[in-house]
Amino acid sequence: MTASLTYLQAISAALRDELRSDERVLLMGEDIGVFGGAFKVTDGFIDEFGGDRVMDTPLAESAIIGTAIGAAVVGMRPVCEMQFADFISCGFDQLVNVAAKMHYRQGLAVPITVRLPSGGGFSGGPFHSQNPEAWFMHAPGIKVVAPSTAEDAKGLLHAAIHDPNPVCFMEHKHLYRRIKGEVPEGIFETPLTARVARPGTELAVIAYGAMVHVAVEATEDLDGASVEVLDLRSLVPLDEDAILDSVARCSKVVIVDEANATCAAGAQVAALIAERGFEDLDGPVVRVATPNVPIPFSPSLEQAVLPSVERVREACRELLAY
Amino acid sequence: MSSSHIRGGEAGPVAGDRREHAPRQSPAGTPGGATRLVDVTMPQMGVSVAEGTVVGWRVEVGDRIEADQTICEISTDKIDTDVPAPVSGVVAEILVPVERTVSVGAVLARIAPAGVGVADGGTEAPRDGTRVARGNGAPGNGARGGAQAGAPTPSTQPATAPGSRRYSPVVQRIAAEHGIDLSQIEGTGRGGRVRKQDVLAFLDAARAAPAEPPLHIESPYRPEPAPAVVAPATAPGATPPLADGGQLSRMRRQIGEHMKRSLETAATCTTWIEVDMTRIEAARAPLGFTALPFVARATIAALREHPALNAWLEDERYTRPEEINLGIAVSLGEDGLIVPIVHRAHELSVEGLAARIKELARRARSRELTADEVRGGTFTITNPGQYGSIMATPIINQPQVAILDLEAVTKHPLVVTDADGSDSIAIRPTTILGLSWDHRALDGAQAARFLASIKRRLEGWSGSEA
Repeated sequence: MTASLTYLQAISAALRDELRSDERVLLMGEDIGVFGGAFKVTDGFIDEFGGDRVMDTPLAESAIIGTAIGAAVVGMRPVCEMQFADFISCGFDQLVNVAAKMHYRQGLAVPITVRLPSGGGFSGGPFHSQNPEAWFMHAPGIKVVAPSTAEDAKGLLHAAIHDPNPVCFMEHKHLYRRIKGEVPEGIFETPLTARVARPGTELAVIAYGAMVHVAVEATEDLDGASVEVLDLRSLVPLDEDAILDSVARCSKVVIVDEANATCAAGAQVAALIAERGFEDLDGPVVRVATPNVPIPFSPSLEQAVLPSVERVREACRELLAY
Repeated sequence: MSSSHIRGGEAGPVAGDRREHAPRQSPAGTPGGATRLVDVTMPQMGVSVAEGTVVGWRVEVGDRIEADQTICEISTDKIDTDVPAPVSGVVAEILVPVERTVSVGAVLARIAPAGVGVADGGTEAPRDGTRVARGNGAPGNGARGGAQAGAPTPSTQPATAPGSRRYSPVVQRIAAEHGIDLSQIEGTGRGGRVRKQDVLAFLDAARAAPAEPPLHIESPYRPEPAPAVVAPATAPGATPPLADGGQLSRMRRQIGEHMKRSLETAATCTTWIEVDMTRIEAARAPLGFTALPFVARATIAALREHPALNAWLEDERYTRPEEINLGIAVSLGEDGLIVPIVHRAHELSVEGLAARIKELARRARSRELTADEVRGGTFTITNPGQYGSIMATPIINQPQVAILDLEAVTKHPLVVTDADGSDSIAIRPTTILGLSWDHRALDGAQAARFLASIKRRLEGWSGSEA
């Protein structure tokens, strides 16, 4: 059985299924209880599961994550919501220094999930539009996933909650209500591997999250060129085999990041290809990413910095012609 | 048959004629007697060849020519070929008109060597299309260019801009894996860059092309690609296919004369034997060969056992050569056929025979055979079985005393006897080998024993030498 759900509804459904099936699961976040969450992901949850399992917290990300770590160490499966991914900087120490290193230092598992509503495109300005996944890719001990479809949003959230490690769940705000799809009912796990969104042979566009949709649209009709789109889905672990497979098949690669270009996930992918896919390359590895500027509030300026369909298309055309 | 161009870089008999002797200087020069003309003579094309016919001239009197440049095409009863200029210079005289047949050694033309003042063609470059690339020639060739020798052409310069000679890793890897010379691929990328798809398209095209057209001679289990005989469009010696009301081509006339002479000369008998090819079929499949190299190998072994068949009979003189020089009939499509020789075939394995036969067939079709490669045969195999025919009465290739005919290998019910001596009917790939032999040189019993020897070797094939 499947249900037609938006990306946001799929996340809600995953949380609801987990709360219903596993009493160790609890949710923590700002305004997630009575208000139902800034984006209404947990709308109505407090009525079904009560304030003890759908906890409204103070505006203190460090406290949210710190508390979740403690709960996880004693056997709970906490899911923290950052109201905006940007705010996780306040909980950085707890996540990066405490949660990520707990197993290494003390042999204790920290099965927490941190939901990070990320991404721009809605004139949210510099504090509400960031894609901070690379911060956590750089911290050993944390897994980072970034679904692009409703089905993967649900399946990856289940996988994150079941995972014994801290997992950053990058949910893209722009996709919340724009993306809809058939989602299997019940609990299922999406593997932390890449997915070929569209197979092709002449050029591979590698992306994740919202940029998968940009990549698909940009390459739908490139003068008949056969363009593969690889949806990474998981950034840590990174599906290196799938990436190198795409490179071997297509020999030309465009990597799209919505995040700021420097040291972004796409930079890691490019480094991997340079290191292990060199023999398969028929052109330079091309990156399309947001330049190293804060996300502007101005709608026109924001659209100018975020990777657009047009920019990706142009990059693909250039590389195809190379 | 079109011209068979013997390249200057190869020491074929024609080129060798020039290299082995210093150019013959003719005293019959121009007025003044100081200049000495170089003779161009009808080359010795093979031991049994006494004469040749001029098929066409490529140059005219007064043309400036370079050493190795083709000046005329000639035809003998064995092959057609080009005659290269022995020296650079100017054509002073043309002595033999087209279609005239003259003896070996006859002077065809005379050339005034470069630097000698005869009705000089001036300093202009040779006419388009007549210039022969000299990069591959012998080192001495350039010096013969006289005035041109002082200005060597830089031949190592890449044809295109240096930037386009850089290849991406994947292109280099594919090229290395398939042994492709990337300079022959036209790039479709930016600035003519060779892209991966260009290399793949090149590989596809190479695969799609009929890699090797069948010999005269093929197993029926192979698809039959179209004969890929491409004659240079402008070659004067090219013969169109036999048309209604048209004259027989020179090649057809020559084949006809040979065949008639053979039948008039030899007391031709034909003997057949049926062979179970089960083991050969099993052995050839993994190697990707036809049955031919196996039959050739078994025949060579049988010839060693029965040397009376590896012989020449010329009038009443009967010779048994030490070596086995195996002729393999190769079809040239509608033009006719030619029999290149695998020299010292007894020294070759099945794999060696297969490779040698394939190479000779390719050279035959591209008209690259030298006279040496079509002479000296001691025994011939013909194999027109690709259309499924099962028996033939081949005509002996004179002065040999026998010819073996390999027709199609087809499946037939066969009575087989097992180790206990009980018989059963099995479906087996079989073929009928036909041997035409000269009753003047041998008798039927010898022919039958020879065929039985081949049959025994083929049916008992064990992977080692027959």
